[in-house]
This record gives sequence, structure tokens and C-alpha cells, in this order.
Amino acid sequence: MYMKVSMIIRYVLLGIFNALMFYIVPLAISYESWFLLLIVGIITFLINITYLTNRLKPLKWITPGFIFLLAFVVFPAGFNFYVSFTNWQTGHILTKTQVIERLEDLTFSTEEQRGVEFDLYVMQDSDLDYYFLADLDKNNLLFGKAITSDEFNNVNYANHEPSFKDSNNNIVIPESLYLLSGKEQIANSSQLQDLSLLVDKNTRINLYNISVFGASSGRIFSSQQKYSYDDDTDILYDNTQNVACTLGDRGNFICGGESVDPGWRITVGSENYQRIIDDERFRGPLNTVATWTFQFAFFSVVLAFFVGLFLAVTLNNEKVRFQKVYRSIYIIPYAIPGFISILVFRGLLNPDFGLVNDWLDPIYQLLNIEPIRWFRTEASSKAAVLLVNTWLGFPYMFLIVTGALQSIPTELIEASKVDGATPRQSFWRITFPLLLVSISPLLIGAFAYNFNNFTLIFLLTGGGPPLVGADVSVGYTDILISFTYNLAVSGGRGVQFGLAAAVTTIIFFLVLIISAISFRYSKRLERIYGNI
Amino acid sequence: METSKLTKWIREYGWRHLVGIFFVVFSMYPILYVITNSFADFANLQNSKLIPDALTFKHYRSLYEDSLVPYFRWLFNTYKIASIAGLFNVLLGTLAGYAFARLKFRGRRVGLITLVLIQMFPAFLAFVAIYLLFFQISDVAPFMGLGTHFGLICVYLGGSIGFNSWLIKGFMDTIPTSLDEAAKVDGANDSQIFFRIVAPLARPIIVVLFVITFIGIYSDYILAAVFLKDPNLYTVALGINVVFMDDFSNEWGSIAAASVIAATPIAVLFLFFQKQITGGLTAGSIKG
Repeated sequence: MYMKVSMIIRYVLLGIFNALMFYIVPLAISYESWFLLLIVGIITFLINITYLTNRLKPLKWITPGFIFLLAFVVFPAGFNFYVSFTNWQTGHILTKTQVIERLEDLTFSTEEQRGVEFDLYVMQDSDLDYYFLADLDKNNLLFGKAITSDEFNNVNYANHEPSFKDSNNNIVIPESLYLLSGKEQIANSSQLQDLSLLVDKNTRINLYNISVFGASSGRIFSSQQKYSYDDDTDILYDNTQNVACTLGDRGNFICGGESVDPGWRITVGSENYQRIIDDERFRGPLNTVATWTFQFAFFSVVLAFFVGLFLAVTLNNEKVRFQKVYRSIYIIPYAIPGFISILVFRGLLNPDFGLVNDWLDPIYQLLNIEPIRWFRTEASSKAAVLLVNTWLGFPYMFLIVTGALQSIPTELIEASKVDGATPRQSFWRITFPLLLVSISPLLIGAFAYNFNNFTLIFLLTGGGPPLVGADVSVGYTDILISFTYNLAVSGGRGVQFGLAAAVTTIIFFLVLIISAISFRYSKRLERIYGNI
Repeated sequence: METSKLTKWIREYGWRHLVGIFFVVFSMYPILYVITNSFADFANLQNSKLIPDALTFKHYRSLYEDSLVPYFRWLFNTYKIASIAGLFNVLLGTLAGYAFARLKFRGRRVGLITLVLIQMFPAFLAFVAIYLLFFQISDVAPFMGLGTHFGLICVYLGGSIGFNSWLIKGFMDTIPTSLDEAAKVDGANDSQIFFRIVAPLARPIIVVLFVITFIGIYSDYILAAVFLKDPNLYTVALGINVVFMDDFSNEWGSIAAASVIAATPIAVLFLFFQKQITGGLTAGSIKG
């Protein structure tokens, strides 16, 4: 009985899941989200083979977590790689089908009908909805509800209503409607301006001129579809110029020599990578950013490490009292969320009102120099970034170095003393190398972490100060990941997903190299350590 | 005699305390500064100093009363997102960890290695693809598209589940198998062994990993920034940094109060679990 209940629950859940997936599939197809369709397909398959059969027992435990890893880590990495080979950017966001739909919705007005004016009567019914009666000519007395452009799609067109005129050609309106006078029309003019009477899909009548004495006048506005597309021949016709448009090779239609916006996204091969390598205006800034990324990650680790090491060695002595107090205080910077500490440092280092410049004031006076304009010059921004990162990072280094120091066998130090080594010699020749052996994987980990330390850079300096003359929005303290973020999210010249994805792919490979080095290095060091 | 002893002490240990105290000041100054400023009578950065002349609660009150800045909403959003994502993270991670630790199957080693390799790449690196993917999901399934907490939680879930499974597996390896075997003899099946024996014994690591994941998500900036556009749905990291930045110097009092409220619970949580978090098991991988 117990088994049966659990089986029923399992199949019900599986049914709900499959129903949801089958609901998504047609939608994904209609939006041409092929990659999404792929991931939905894989997940559905995986879940079904896991829970429909009883053979793959371990998968029952692994699949639930694995699908999230697959969908939101593995899959985006692959998708990112694909995007890096496309021209997905502002002006090329949509698929071709979506572009054609959008182009076919565009209309244009022809000039010649503009001049025609005729009498227009404005009425209201008991619900206060507006109606227009347009006296075009003898044969056309058009009547209908006046609507705003939002309602164009779901309302009937105007009808010819000869019954609104008596035999003397005077306008007679039914009891149910109220005819607005010119003054009343003026009072409601802002509302009336937005209303039109639809004649057919491309023609509408608007109130043109309100008259207080006679009847107001209306005009016909006719619009035509600007582009029409022929599915079979894959040709777009431009109805304004009466020309057939050709397909451009960048994912655009070209009409009469000009490319039409919007275009659609297409694969462009290695173009984005070529731009990174060849385009002088892009390569220059990228080089600056890449160099600084390595410098930043390296110096961040080195500074934090040596501060931590210095502190650990200084305090790591049995006869130094209050060690526990010191330790519990040093860990506090590490416990504060990074985005908060960075915010506080922005206040402290503020060039105009910050406390740091207040303290340094005596030094400025003594040396007779200008106060440092934190965040406004390249050097001061870089110094600020490294200073803050040292503050953020030294507690961790202090902790791991202290731990490593305590695990180094004391006999080794004692032995070196017996052999006549000075404390300095025994530190640099024995303790320090052993220390490096045990913590170098952690140092490489810290390097990799800082290599992509987006939060620090983005929140402290925003990448600034800006690098002038660059083709893309970039600053002197931007690292690769924050540079990519600007390209993809908040660049001044539109978003460039394809290019950003190409830069991300390069970062992927750099991280891969760093990790590979870390693996080999830690293995080699383990061997050395094992021999001692 | 006495003086030479004192000089000797200073030379041996005194300087160590000098260095120690210097770094106490270095590490505590910014923290004390933001705490005192959050209670200070001045509101802008221009007048700020470490010790204010008078103490008030007005900055905290203004955070509560200012209807334009939904600060406590951000706080609630952040706790909601981080705890749901953290909870499912350890739940699904524990299930997978159990399979890798206890069940024998082909591809187990390969699976484990793949897990570790995948997690070497920070999930946020592919933020362009994540953005475009969820842009498409918005069309198909709007309830988890861009700008929703649900979608963001899914991304956070994927981001650390492999790593957590790996660590939980490692911990479960240290639980003696003789316990399960005894239970098996008594007729227990896999899920009974999991729920009754292995999972309860793995509780220490599960709790620590929940805390680490929670803190990591709480401190995340980039994914939240890519995902959330509606200020009412912001997380606290995003809210503080986007909304207050326009008028940084004049909003200083509110920024300080907001910082203290956002940081205190996390700092307490961190210090409480400090030994386990820094115990080497997650070296270098947390802190966002």
C-alpha cells in the first residue's frame, strides 16, 4: 500500500511536469527559441527516463540537482559560446521572422488625401462614449464609435448610415445620442484629439478643426502597409518606393541601397574574435583592461598575503598575550558582506569630504602637495582598489597562514637552530617554503577569485576614471568582467551581446588555464612535501 | 636591572603588540565609523567624523518612513531569495551527495570529476547567456523570466549545487558504512537509510553549507543586477548601490544605517560559524 501511494504521487508529479513542458514546447517554437527548446527537451527526457524506469536508481537521487546545474550553468556556457559567433546586438536583437512581423506592421500615409475636409459631427451616448458622424458626400455618411489607437484591433469599422439625414439633407440624430456643440467639443478637445473613426484597416477619420458656429470638420488619414513580404520568394517589397528589397549579408533587408532597421541576428563566424584581435580601437582598450586585470589580481593576492603573513608571524609566539583577542578582531572585516565594506570605503576615500584626506592633510602640508583626488586619477583609483582589497583580503590570509604555521613540525626549526641558523635564515629557508607548499593552492584560488572580482571594481570605482578616446565605454580600473558587463548591459552605444560573449569566452579559457596550473602546481608541491 | 628587562620585553614582544594594535585600528576603523555615523546627528558626508556630537535614531527612522526607498522590502526580498535558494541547494545537494557517497554505479567517478570541473567556473561568468536565455524564457514562461525572483533563484541554485554535492559527498564518506549495512540487514531500503541514518548524521555539513550559500547569495551583485529591473524587487545589495548612489554625499546617514542593518545579521552568522567556514573545507570559494 505504501509503495502504491508513493507511485501514484510520483506519476502525478511526472504528469504535471510533462504537461508543463508540452505547454512550453509550442511556445518556444513560435518564438524560435531553439536553444530553450533544446534544454527543455533534454530535461524532459532526463526526468522521464529517471522516474519512469526503475533501472537507473542513482539518477533518482542525482537528477533533481543535476537539471539545475545543466540548465543554468552548463547550458549558458554553451549558449554563451554560440552567442559569441553571432551579431546579437542593438539593431540585431530579433529573429528574422520577428523582424518581418514588425516591418509588416509599419504603415505610411500618402500625401494626396491630406487636403480633403468634410463636416464631422461629434456625439455621445448614455455611457459617455464618443461617436463620429462624417458627412463625406452624398453617398457616404459614415457613422461609428470613435476610438483611441489602442482599440484599433478589436472594433468594427464605420457604417454608411443614410438614416441620419432627412429628405432636406439635414442631420437628424436618434434620441439615444447627444450631439455635442462646438463649445462642448472644445472643452473635451484633448480627449477628442486622440479619437478616430475607422473606415477600413488603413483608413481612419479624425476630428481636424472644431468650429463653434457651424459643423466641425474632419479629415481622412489613410495609411498603407510600408513593407510587404512574400514568403515563397523571400522578398520584401518597399511600398513607399515600389522596390523589391534584397537580403543584406549582415541580417538586414536592403531597400534602394539602404539597410532597413531593425535587422535580425545571424551567425557571423569569428568576426567578434577578429574584432578583438584586429580592431585597433577595440584592441587598445582591451589590452589595457587585460593587463590591469592580471596586475590587480596578482597584487591583491600578494598584498593581502604579505600583510596576513607579517601579522601571523608577528603574533604567532606563545609568549604574546591576547592572541585570541587579536584573532577575533582581525576576522571581523571578513565577516562583513563585501558590498557594504566597499560602500563605507567610498565614503572614507571621498576626495572632497572623506576622512582619509583629512588624516593625510598634515602630510600634504608638510610636503606641500595637493591632496590626492581619489577615484579621479588613474593612479589614485588603482591605489584605492588595492587598498580596499587588502582590507577585505588580509583576514583570510592571516587565518590560513596562522593555521599553516601551526602545522609545520617544530623539530625542523629546532634542527636548523642546532645547525647554527639564525631565526631569519630558518624562517626564509624552512618555514616560508613549507608555508608556500601548503597554501599555494589557496593563493591560486584567491587569484582566480580576484580575477573576476566584479563587485569590488563595479561598486568602488565603477571602472573609472574613464579611458578617453576609446571606442567602447571603459575605464582605467575596469577588469575584464566589468568591461564585459559594460559591453552587454550598460554601454553607451547600445548593447553588444555578441562581442561581450566573445570576451567572456576568452575569460573562460583564462580561468581554465589558471585552474590547470593550480592543479598541476598543487600536485607537484604535494610530492615535494611528501618527500620531507 | 629593571629597565633592561623592560627594554628586552619591548624588543621581544612590545613591538608585536604595536603591530597587532595597528592592525586592530586598521580593520576596525571603517566598521566603527559606519556604526557611529548611522546614529549620528549629521546626515551628509561633509560633516561626518568618527565620534559624532550627538546620537539619534533619525537615519533608521527615515529608512523606515521614506516611501520612495523601499529598504525593508529589499531586505525581505534578499532574505527570501537567499533562504529559498540556500534551502533547495542543500536539499538537492544532499540527495546527489548521497548517491555519490553510497550507491555504486558506472560513471560515478566521471560524474564526480565533471561536477568539480564545472564548478571551477563561476556561474556568473556566463551572465550574457543567462540574460539572453531568460529574455527568451520571459516570452515562454513569464513567471520565471527576467525580472522575477523565481528565475533568479533558479540561477543561484545551479550556481553552487555541484560544489555542495561534492562537499556533502566528502562528509558522507566519513560516516561509517557499517551503520547502513546494519540497517540493510534489518530490511531498510535506500530512502530509509538516507532519511533515518545518513542525512541526520550529515547535518553539520548541511547546516554549514546552507550558511555559506546563504551568505554568498546575500552578497551577490552581478546576477541580481543583470536580472532585476523593478526597484521594488531589488535585493539589498542592488538597492543600496543603485538608489543611494545618485546623491551619495547627502544620503550618507541613510547609507550608514542601511549598511548596519544589512551587515549585522550576516556578520553575526559568519562569526558564529567562523571555524567551520574557514576550516579549510571551502577555502577561497566563498565571499561574494
